[in-house]
Amino acid sequence: MRKGRILSLGLLGRLLAILLLTMAVEYLASTILYERSSRALIHDDEAHRLAEHLVIARKLVSEQSWPERPSMAARLTTDRYDVHWAGATNPNLPPEGAPTAARARMIEWEPSLADSNLQVRLVPVGRRAQLFGALQLADGTWLRFRAIAPSVGGSLNIHRILLPLFPAGILLLLSALLFRETLRPMRMLALAADRIGRRGGVTLPETGPREVRRVIRAFNAMQTRIHQLITDRTQALAAVGHDLRTPLARLQLRSDAIADPALRQAFETDITEMEAMVGSLLSYVGGEDDPEKPVRTDVAVLAQTIVDDAADHGGAATYVGDDHVEAVVRPIGLKRAIANLVENALHYGHSARVAVIAEERVLLIRVDDDGPGIPDDRLAEVVQPFVRLDPARSRNTSGLGLGLAIVARAAEVEGGSLHLTNRPEGGLRAEMRLPRG
Amino acid sequence: MTSPTILLVEDDPALRTLTTRALQENGYVVRPCATAPEMWRAMEAGPVDLVLLDIMLPGTSGIDLCRALRRESEVPIIFISAKASETDRVIGLELGADDYLPKPFGTRELIARVRAVLRRGGAEDRRAQRGQGIAEFDGFRLNLPRRELLSPSGAVVDLTGAEFDLLVALVDHAQRVIARERLIELSRTRMGDSSDRSVDVLVSRVRRKLSGTGQDAPIITVRGIGYMLNAEVARR
Repeated sequence: MRKGRILSLGLLGRLLAILLLTMAVEYLASTILYERSSRALIHDDEAHRLAEHLVIARKLVSEQSWPERPSMAARLTTDRYDVHWAGATNPNLPPEGAPTAARARMIEWEPSLADSNLQVRLVPVGRRAQLFGALQLADGTWLRFRAIAPSVGGSLNIHRILLPLFPAGILLLLSALLFRETLRPMRMLALAADRIGRRGGVTLPETGPREVRRVIRAFNAMQTRIHQLITDRTQALAAVGHDLRTPLARLQLRSDAIADPALRQAFETDITEMEAMVGSLLSYVGGEDDPEKPVRTDVAVLAQTIVDDAADHGGAATYVGDDHVEAVVRPIGLKRAIANLVENALHYGHSARVAVIAEERVLLIRVDDDGPGIPDDRLAEVVQPFVRLDPARSRNTSGLGLGLAIVARAAEVEGGSLHLTNRPEGGLRAEMRLPRG
Repeated sequence: MTSPTILLVEDDPALRTLTTRALQENGYVVRPCATAPEMWRAMEAGPVDLVLLDIMLPGTSGIDLCRALRRESEVPIIFISAKASETDRVIGLELGADDYLPKPFGTRELIARVRAVLRRGGAEDRRAQRGQGIAEFDGFRLNLPRRELLSPSGAVVDLTGAEFDLLVALVDHAQRVIARERLIELSRTRMGDSSDRSVDVLVSRVRRKLSGTGQDAPIITVRGIGYMLNAEVARR
């Protein structure tokens, strides 16, 4: 998933890439067309000039006597055209030459050239082409000529390339901003989707382009459905939990009639365990009652009560924190969370040192034990609901494996978090860090 | 002394039978009923000393029933409910119920609570004593119906049932010495106090919870006699 995230351009990137590609194609196409057409203009120009030059050359060379003709031809040679007369009776053009449209244009410009058996060839020279040609004088000899500069090709002008890129850049920037704005509802959607299942989903306003509006509508509907589904399940679980307590009460009252004390004790232990399971399940699904409201509470005293109670039941629990720490919290949920931590510490670590410490910005609720701790690679796992570290459910493990999940949730509700660490000197440290408002 | 009569309202037939039997075995006269109308008929049948009321009843909820009952009489009421949440507890007690018994419960707990509520005396006494049910001392606010203590800065100070009762006893005898034996007696009538911790431990815990920064709790030990709340109590 992370890999995909790096590789992916994102929707904005993709749109910009598409835009860039279209612009590049458009640019290339237009440049080539422009170059082509401008070159065609140049050709016309050149053909006309050559035609004029040839008409003059034909006249001047024809007027000379044969011995004078080569020098006249030489005099007619400019830096543009090479004119040559050798009294040849055939055009003697390079065989690899191809006829060219230039001839038609030349004749069009100077129709008299048509009478002179004008022949023009384009001869490839390297990657370009050079114009070769010949025309027949009245006495049957051929006047040959060639263009000195290669006529086709030529360097592309850097200036001409860069200039159109400037508006393209502005266009790209502008579309980036517009795309971003168009995609904003998508970002909202992502944020909202991220919040599903956590506290407080949001119904998004249906804004943005039609497609995005449709996605938002579907998303809102989905969110409602998921919420409904969870609520239904939670209510079902809570109802089962509550209903189980009536038969449990019956069982407990019936067990009082058991004559054998050992058997009665066993019954009572089972019933207590079942009640603990129901209690932790109800606490986990939150079906116990309406969401608790935060109240100003002395958290240190809350922890002391739990420690006292554990000590009264024979646990090695001590309180070592501040005497009084007041904070606005949900006391029932927090009390249950601290009780779970103390219970775990006593069960797995055989002792519990509880401290509530007020720091400047956080409220620390810390429970240390002297047990074996938890393997580092499984620290994250134990916070998951229904997870137990014992490979098989050991006899003395009660509950459903919801203890730490309930603690983590209680911390989350207060805007804080649960941290489990193995202390360097041995034993586990469970620490709830809550923000101090 | 005639046996106290208890009205039991419970819709689950088996649980009704079992609870009835448990109460009868402990010397109470029980009038079991399954619904609200049955309860009203049973109320008319003769004086009742205590009502045991299941919150979740078909038709009328136990909470509405409790309200209706309170309008008519001051008979002590104990709620029974499968919803063990503290919210329910507070609602129950604020409505004027006297105690709350979460399901599942055993015979011992049931009898202990019934006995304790019956022993606490007549409802008229309680009313006269409570007023609005708020006692203030040293900045602390003791809310009797909610069974809640607020610190001078308004924070909830968590107390166990036994600690709360001890504090109530001290507040009731403010600036008078209350004998250890009397406190032991009081704490014994209190149910839910199943552990055998001594009154001295309770007092030291309450003291620690009431101590402020650099200030001791207003509870003083009178050596050889008992304890005293050394603060003026204002009731509202």
